Amino acid sequence: MSTFSIIGKRIPKPDAIPKATGQIIYGHDVKVPRMLYGKILRSPLPHARILHIDTSRAERLSGVKAVITAKDLPPRRFGYGRDRTPLKGDKVRRCGDEVAAVAAIDEDIAEEALELIRVEYDPLPAVFDPQAALRPDAPLIHEDRESNLFRHQEYVHGEPDRALEEADVVVEDEFDLGYVQPAPLETSFCLAAFDASGKLTVWSTTQIPFLLQKDLSEALGIPGRDIRVIQTAIGGSFGRGLDMYSFEPICVWLARKAGRPVRLAFTRQEEFAVSEARQSMRIWARAGAMRDGRLWVREAKVLLDNGAYVSWGTVTTLVLMETIGSLYRVPHARVVYDSVYTNNPITGAVRGFGNPQGTFVVEVQMDRLAEAIGMDPLEFRLRNANRPFEETPQGIKITTCGLTECLEEAARRIGWSEKRAAPSRRGAIARGVGIAATMNVGGGARIYRSDGCGCIVKVDDFGRVTVLTGATEIGQGSDVVVVQIVAEELGIRPEEITIVNDDTAVTPWDVGVHASRTTFIAGNAALRAARQVKAQILETAEELLGASAAELELRDGYVRIREAPEQRIPFDKVVRARHFRQGGQVIIGHGWYDPHNEMLGPDGKGNISATYGFGAQAVEVEVDVETGKVRPLRVVSAHDVGRAINPMYVEGQIEGGTVMGLGYALSEHLQVHEGRVLNLTPFDYRMPTIMDAPPIETVIIETDDPEGPFGAKGVGEMGTNPTAAAVANAIYNAIGVRINSLPITPEKVLRALKERGS
Amino acid sequence: MRFFEYYAPKTLDEAIQLLVRHGEGAYPLAGGTDLVTKARYGHLRPRVIVNLKRIPGLNDIAPEEDGGLRLGALVTLAEIARSLLMGERYPLLAQTARKMGSVLIRNLATVGGNLCNAAPSADMAPPLIALGAEAVIVGPRGERRVRLEKFFHGPGQTELRHGELLTAIRLPPPRPRTRGVYLKHIYRQAMDIAIVGVAVLLQFDEQEAIAEDARIVLGAVAPTPLRVPEAESVLIGAPLTEDRRLEAARRAARAARPIDDTYSSAWYRREMVGVLTRRALEHLVSHSPER
Repeated sequence: MSTFSIIGKRIPKPDAIPKATGQIIYGHDVKVPRMLYGKILRSPLPHARILHIDTSRAERLSGVKAVITAKDLPPRRFGYGRDRTPLKGDKVRRCGDEVAAVAAIDEDIAEEALELIRVEYDPLPAVFDPQAALRPDAPLIHEDRESNLFRHQEYVHGEPDRALEEADVVVEDEFDLGYVQPAPLETSFCLAAFDASGKLTVWSTTQIPFLLQKDLSEALGIPGRDIRVIQTAIGGSFGRGLDMYSFEPICVWLARKAGRPVRLAFTRQEEFAVSEARQSMRIWARAGAMRDGRLWVREAKVLLDNGAYVSWGTVTTLVLMETIGSLYRVPHARVVYDSVYTNNPITGAVRGFGNPQGTFVVEVQMDRLAEAIGMDPLEFRLRNANRPFEETPQGIKITTCGLTECLEEAARRIGWSEKRAAPSRRGAIARGVGIAATMNVGGGARIYRSDGCGCIVKVDDFGRVTVLTGATEIGQGSDVVVVQIVAEELGIRPEEITIVNDDTAVTPWDVGVHASRTTFIAGNAALRAARQVKAQILETAEELLGASAAELELRDGYVRIREAPEQRIPFDKVVRARHFRQGGQVIIGHGWYDPHNEMLGPDGKGNISATYGFGAQAVEVEVDVETGKVRPLRVVSAHDVGRAINPMYVEGQIEGGTVMGLGYALSEHLQVHEGRVLNLTPFDYRMPTIMDAPPIETVIIETDDPEGPFGAKGVGEMGTNPTAAAVANAIYNAIGVRINSLPITPEKVLRALKERGS
Repeated sequence: MRFFEYYAPKTLDEAIQLLVRHGEGAYPLAGGTDLVTKARYGHLRPRVIVNLKRIPGLNDIAPEEDGGLRLGALVTLAEIARSLLMGERYPLLAQTARKMGSVLIRNLATVGGNLCNAAPSADMAPPLIALGAEAVIVGPRGERRVRLEKFFHGPGQTELRHGELLTAIRLPPPRPRTRGVYLKHIYRQAMDIAIVGVAVLLQFDEQEAIAEDARIVLGAVAPTPLRVPEAESVLIGAPLTEDRRLEAARRAARAARPIDDTYSSAWYRREMVGVLTRRALEHLVSHSPER
């Protein structure tokens, strides 16, 4: 629609230049006077009783200002499972568990102090295999629980047992999906300071500033109203910041005990060793179809390894359930899952949040079913694609849905029909193409009591507009999107808008950045606030222009009569006319948007999001059959995003997500042996480099969502979801070998080829 | 990283004296890409760091009278990659340098550092050994020279005694009709350390049909770079048929003594020695594209 002046424009983020020129202030850059450096002593053992902690030598070290153990902290638990204290007093349940902490005048002294702390452990039998953890004789990790099972849930629609018998073909697979790390460039960080009145300010890289207030309050007994969270510029997050971790209350308590501000930042090794990873999952799955091309049934049993403590990440099973239950039309489905405690590293939220795992299962089996009934996998997908304005048996109310267009575009642009029919082979090099789709919540996801976001828009008497939004910016572009929405509504240039999005003392509440929700939810809140401002402007302009509000429009910095645009007044002049007079008013609008979505019931059903995003990725790969090495040559990623408020950042999200998906597919793997992380550096962890990123062609499909701000839906996570499945399918197309465990390393490919005897 | 003393001597003598005086815990610093990383990750705790970069003469690429070349220990990988002299006389080394680290790392990392760090996967070692390079070592008792093949004693261990420095690599004059290739097997396109590295150097006869000399040196499959004479011998003095190439590859794979680690299994490493050796020979014989 060409009637927009700002929506759809490729405008750089407000922080683009400060970031590119190095002027931005990240958490690690922040220094405050009298600041101390905090360090945490961590358990070297995966499971052990703590017999004794002696901190006396550390306390005597010159330069040490505070040493704390569990005894210093209020006996309060925190976390999604209420299963941990910030410092562990009785026993440790994983390698890296927090045992003591120090604050000192510099990092060297803090490190030295840690070495002076003596901890006596009594090792306990540990369990690292989630299946073994469920056995009755397994070591119990949390003594106040009856077993290591955290949650068992079953989801059913239709009659899956009967359907599996009815189906003409049934495929069955076991999937083994390993740990990966979000691995943001900026490691975890916290800076805590109390003022003279005892009020706490925390500088943080959190994704949930308002819930962090609450979490800190619960963990430490400090009233929430005395806690202010300031978010520094965040150097990547990808889900890491969705939970409060132990280091945050520890940092606060060090500051309280030392009576000075304390900064606590992870080393890169700590980041890999103890920050939350994507859940490793073992999934056994069956799927059935009819020979005429109807997808008939799906069944999955999921074993999720939470690690030693449960975080919000355990909710990933809900997302996985949704993918298995509702991606494509499937009349019968069952998902059973056990989420289990082990002595492994803790797991949490990572972009896609269960969806990459679920999509891998669904899309590998879609290919297998198509093959079993002798149908082209694209054709099979198109026949079963979700349609617009259709409710799935799960209770998911799909509104706009461009899945068919996404599949068709991705396939067309990769050259599906020619390449699929004749996968090429030259010497040792085989080529193939694969496709996979994704469905992702695109209108929030109600997993908390509120899924809302607040926004305030104020205008000063020079016409500068300030937007105060609860939406967190983690690099995804929420700042520019909110600015564009307000600019469009008020008919002003984005440069005239200042956005404030980093301070709980200033901005209205928001549940946090997750579920690809920010454009949709914060965008709607901003739109509501801007509409109030617009109404106030129009009210005054009516008097000044002698026309009714219905005849007026805000455009290009003026209020003007739509039919006689030469009759106009500058925006700022209207603002002053309203302000500087007897009984005048300043212009402030506020908006609150909480979507009409539902929390899932105990049966796993309900409309969790106000709308859904769809996408499809087609990948062409090259496989070296002598080394097993897979090289992605090209990716086409087509996404229904409702409307692209800023196409540049939509592309950025999809490209970044795709590369993250390629890492998941091919190279990234947090290697864990007996609870210990083995690869602790970016070097050993093998995230894709820019040299590994193939050309990615992004296709934006606009379906103009009725509920979205200017028609927009969320896109943040979608790029990551289908990639591994598309790559696995392309590998199969190239060499006829299926690898159901991630990452698909050259070694796995070569072994599989040798076993098949090629 | 913990507190350390830092020196930046201007002469070699001074540097050696500093290292001798401070004993264990004193480390020479070249590019720093290994030392600083290890110190930061806590694998090393240097008490004293002696920066060698202010010492003149350690970073030259200098032609020698016999037609060989003296490669200063502090020459960076980037310089090796772009040096015209290297490209002309020892293209194998320029090509190897380009396969290491990333642009940023190559700008810092030095050839001497790569060798002295003595990782079994050090990329510079196999091609330099294949070329017959010699290490020039200077210490409290003066200069000595060691064939690079004898320089490595084990992972992180070299011929260097405390207080000694590797100051240069001496390369013999390039031999006529010689072609070499270094194949490095990694998962990513950059940054990875070699899962397997294979350097092959062949000297052909006048007709370019028969190899008069052959060198095969493997990296990352033994505690030190591994020369494989039993594979080399198959290739010398007879036409380089496919059968001979395969046999050489088989012998190289057999000779490898790889381990399992987080990068790869021993099984896979051995497989890759075979594949890479065969491919290197194919490339040199038939000018087929390098893979």
